[in-house]
Amino acid sequence: MRGFKVRQDRFVARVDEGERAVVASVVADVLELLGAPRPDEEPAAADRTAPVADEPGELPRLRTDTPPPPDDPAVLRLLPDASRDDPSLAAEFRRLTEDDLRAQKVDRLERLWQSLTAPGGGRRHDELVVPARDAPAFAAALTDVRLVLAERLDVHTDAEADAMYAVLGETPPSSPAARSDHETRRYLVSVYGALTWLQESLVVLMLADARRGHTGTPTGTDGTGDVPGSG
Amino acid sequence: MVGVPVQIAPDERVEAVEETSLGDPWVTIVWNDPVNLMSYVTYVFETYFGHPHATAEKLMRQVHEEGRAVVSTGVLESMEVDVQAMHGFGLWATLQRSGQ
Repeated sequence: MRGFKVRQDRFVARVDEGERAVVASVVADVLELLGAPRPDEEPAAADRTAPVADEPGELPRLRTDTPPPPDDPAVLRLLPDASRDDPSLAAEFRRLTEDDLRAQKVDRLERLWQSLTAPGGGRRHDELVVPARDAPAFAAALTDVRLVLAERLDVHTDAEADAMYAVLGETPPSSPAARSDHETRRYLVSVYGALTWLQESLVVLMLADARRGHTGTPTGTDGTGDVPGSG
Repeated sequence: MVGVPVQIAPDERVEAVEETSLGDPWVTIVWNDPVNLMSYVTYVFETYFGHPHATAEKLMRQVHEEGRAVVSTGVLESMEVDVQAMHGFGLWATLQRSGQ
């Protein structure tokens, strides 16, 4: 895997076939968590016709009922409560916005999955090409995947995030059950680390791009500029 | 507890007060999390809110170091739009009345 670089109005990374398969599989997992069909599986005939009550994508846009907060903490992280101390405010917000937010996330994840599984537009077979206009959606989808991985790794604090990489250097335990858990954790941490690094390489370029386009933006007089001699 | 300066233009402040007519606007708060990159949070604050670089970075640092920051203020409906946008970006944001 090589991080993103700018090529004209596109961002180009290099991700090999094995890495793509791993990331695409995790993206499909997140789509499934959001109630969307896995893009790597053919839908069963019954799934296509029978309305499923728990599939918000199938419901009318204007809800009159209030969807409960998701049970799975990883899904709750993607569709969070909008209030920490007012359940009725959080419920009303969820009723108004959850379907749209979920649809937005599903759409972006499906596009990420497609870009990983159907590469094209690059000079080399391992190039991952993201047009500048698609970069915000691409970065947001990477965020959603990383949020789910972090939740599965029980990473909830900055200290836990720093500490999680230690597993990559540890000797696997000897008992088969513990070894299996260790291997799973290693796998999730390595995917998380790779996506973090990939996203950082993209966002740095996006930020530079945005700043170049912001030359006409007034900076205001809020005192944050710290211009010498101005105060 | 939300006594931090809010980054809005003076005319927006007047408009917000007029719309609520109670002078009691709402705020959008972004909370720290271990996943979102500092660069990404800065990018969101710059591109979504249109903050100058320095303001965006200051708010990002406030989220990172103090655990949260007020990123916008106004009537409830405007804050709902901002919170939904933050959730779209993958940041965890909440609404509350200013001054709570």
